[in-house]
Amino acid sequence: MDNLVKRAKELLENKTVQVVIGYEAGPTGVIRPAFITDPEKAGKLIYNDKCDQNLAVYLTKKEVKNFGKMAIVATLPVMRSIMMLISEQQLFAESIVVLGISADGNLLDIADINIMQGYIEKSDLSNPEKYKALLAELNKLNPEEKFAYWQKELSKCIKCYACRQACPMCYCTRCTVEVNQPQWIPVQANTHGNMEWHILRAMHLAGRCISCGECGRACPVGIPCHLLTMQLTDQVYTYFKVYAGTSDKMNSVLSTFEPNDKESFII
Amino acid sequence: MARIGVFVCHCGENISATVDCGKVADTIGKLKHVAYSTEYKYMCSDPGQTLIKDAIREHKLTGVVVSACSPRMHEPTFRKACAEGGLNPFLCEMANLREHCSWVHEKNELTTEKAIDIIRTQVEKVKLNSALQPIRVPVTKTSMVIGGGIAGIQAALDIANCGHKVVMVERSPSIGGHMSQLSETFPTLDCSQCILTPRMVEVAQHPNITLYTYAEVESVEGFIGNFKVKIRKKAKSLDEKACTGCGLCTTKCPQKKIPNEFEQGMGMRPAIYVPFPQAVPNRPVIDKEHCTYYIKGKCKVCEIVCPTKAIRFDQPDEILDLEIGAIVVSTGFDIKHADFFPEYGYGKYKDVIDGLQFERLASASGPTAGAILRPSDGQVPKNIVFIACAGSRDPAKGIAYCSKICCMYTAKHAMLYKHKVHEGNAHVFYMDIRSGGKNYDEFVRRAIEEDYVNYIRGRVSTVYERDGKLIVKGVDTLLGAQPVEIVADMVVLATAGVANPGAEELAQKLHVSYDSHKFFAEAHPKLKPVETNTAGIFLAGACQNPKDIPDSVSQASGAAVKVAALFSQNGLTREPLVAFVNRTAPPMYSTCVGCFLCQSVCPYQAIEREDFKTRDGKIIKTVAKINEGLCQGCGTCVALCRSKSIDLYGYSNNQVYAEVVALLNEF
Repeated sequence: MDNLVKRAKELLENKTVQVVIGYEAGPTGVIRPAFITDPEKAGKLIYNDKCDQNLAVYLTKKEVKNFGKMAIVATLPVMRSIMMLISEQQLFAESIVVLGISADGNLLDIADINIMQGYIEKSDLSNPEKYKALLAELNKLNPEEKFAYWQKELSKCIKCYACRQACPMCYCTRCTVEVNQPQWIPVQANTHGNMEWHILRAMHLAGRCISCGECGRACPVGIPCHLLTMQLTDQVYTYFKVYAGTSDKMNSVLSTFEPNDKESFII
Repeated sequence: MARIGVFVCHCGENISATVDCGKVADTIGKLKHVAYSTEYKYMCSDPGQTLIKDAIREHKLTGVVVSACSPRMHEPTFRKACAEGGLNPFLCEMANLREHCSWVHEKNELTTEKAIDIIRTQVEKVKLNSALQPIRVPVTKTSMVIGGGIAGIQAALDIANCGHKVVMVERSPSIGGHMSQLSETFPTLDCSQCILTPRMVEVAQHPNITLYTYAEVESVEGFIGNFKVKIRKKAKSLDEKACTGCGLCTTKCPQKKIPNEFEQGMGMRPAIYVPFPQAVPNRPVIDKEHCTYYIKGKCKVCEIVCPTKAIRFDQPDEILDLEIGAIVVSTGFDIKHADFFPEYGYGKYKDVIDGLQFERLASASGPTAGAILRPSDGQVPKNIVFIACAGSRDPAKGIAYCSKICCMYTAKHAMLYKHKVHEGNAHVFYMDIRSGGKNYDEFVRRAIEEDYVNYIRGRVSTVYERDGKLIVKGVDTLLGAQPVEIVADMVVLATAGVANPGAEELAQKLHVSYDSHKFFAEAHPKLKPVETNTAGIFLAGACQNPKDIPDSVSQASGAAVKVAALFSQNGLTREPLVAFVNRTAPPMYSTCVGCFLCQSVCPYQAIEREDFKTRDGKIIKTVAKINEGLCQGCGTCVALCRSKSIDLYGYSNNQVYAEVVALLNEF
């Protein structure tokens, strides 16, 4: 952690970056995101196993970008988010410095995107173990039971869109649900409309979700909505052998037309 | 206030047999905003169209719903009728009562109700239609013909004679295709080379034709009138301008044991070679795979002997970028080769050959100078068996279709054999004799009656060797399925005509569809036989299905006319049913967030980038922009766009929503 503070201070002092995005302890000890602009305050930065928010979500926020060049404390999901954001042209590699954190909590030396790519490629990219177990439980249910499960879970949704706000891949300035001409997704929270929203959100993240689980953590009513996108991550891997966020140049697997795409499904 | 007219078509009895058209018209007539509703037996007929035109004027219609067939065939018809009636053609919609309703349901109340529901959706949609204007695009008046066989040659000459530029691209070192390999042609038995070579020379000398041999299409982008084509001119290892075609190099090349493709493997050629004496252009190429210099780095005999120093070992492949307005695909066909007929011993016994090999044997320029000699020992075969339908019309072999040309060329082969080996016996096993065509059946009768070819109706089960003879076991179905055994010296298989290797890859480059046998698909089997589903790309010859020379030539002329018709206009009008990215007020400019996933999903490369800049040139935002000339209106980007920033003219989000809501609501 001393290394992290030292490096952040250095970056701010020599003006390589204007802001460091990291974690700090709030007044009651709760971990919260920190935006350090003053080298003297770099000491506030911490990293421990409670620091699990995906900070990449701030990289596309105008208020943060306005500081200038950004450094970010990046665990594996954050690094993968950065890859996705670059490949989807929401972020430029030269506008960030990555303060990579290894699985055991040590500062990595990530000098550029290629080194980060090498690190990602060496890591386990499947869904985190704790979620794998939950998904396995769910997949034991038959379709009717599954539908009943999700109907029950999603009926709790209050349409606060915290899942959307917490997700680094949900960066659209205007979300589909804000389109009201026509209003495909109803505004008010009811089970039917809630399901429409969550299915739509999952489909928008199919092949793009980097399995950080942030959406589920953000949900104030405890809907495990991250399991929807993680299930799709599994499916995409099964059919295409691709995980999202492994390269800054990858084409999204479900949205790339190839002339040799087999059209065997057309009779 | 919308005033919609609904026109319910009976389609003869296609719709009215199961749908109560009278009730449909009555019910729809009572809907809000429907100002006029009627029914008629054939809406596409002249009186039917007049009905629409008159109603538009009389009832001051603001939209029209023609409730008839699939829009595929008649949408243009009815749009045109509306335009003539004074209504913008894009204010006309079709409700498909035939394919979506009457053909798939039985006659009852529910069928009629479904017809009403289908029309209701279209009434709701057409209310939201906007009066669109056609898009004008320029046309590059240069065409490209892919494949230099007889079909390609004919198409190129016809287009060139209309005064338009043609670029011909041929994969092999010479044009001429399969026709140049043939000995004589049915039904006149005139020499194939003699009628073909003048055409080949004409292509080479025509001022409007640019010929690229030993070249392949690398990529095709763009759209009708505006294709951007990359051609790879493979290195011939030769300076074509310096070469005089003297042929000294080909005689001195020490590498002489390469199976000759032109002779169907029945002769040998050197590594630097001209495929055949009449080749156009008559210049050699070096086959890098077999050339000693390219393999071992030593030799260069050709370079030493060349009197004009034309050999260029370090010549690279050249990529040409061409602007092309229309494309004729005439890549031809291939025949099934070895391993496909283990029961006939093909590939196992030297004297079991295919039809194309027989052509070379019978050809005066072939490996035997026209003498029919069997490949194993060079003896004249006294008994020869021709097996028609080898592979064709055999669903068990995966080829259910008739290869069309084999009946005729088998008769020709048998006749040529009898003309050259008077004392020999020719037997033909056949399933049916398909000799439809001018003077075709007379030709077959001549073979049977005047040349005494023994035609046996039945299939051959097996061919095997016994004491140096080929035993052909078959059956004569006209003698009550009596087994027949013929002791033959040589067997010729009329193997199935199949698509060229590489046809699928080319189809994908061109974005044209193809069938399960990899033959290119026409746009309509009857009414658009030379068009493909991609506008501006036409078909000629056997790349569509096996065809004989007259058919290939006729189709090539047909394709040429399509190209000439396209080039006779100064510009093209395109349907304005294209996608567009929304624009909003600054500072947002568009709700597009610039992820450009639409760019990778677009099959037509129609999505570009657009920068919004401040006055001093600083980029504020980059968003997607649709090229209207390239967009085909497929809607893939619309479905993909997460923020719904892309919409489609004529099929907007609002229109689709209105259709869905109409169906969900009781009425």
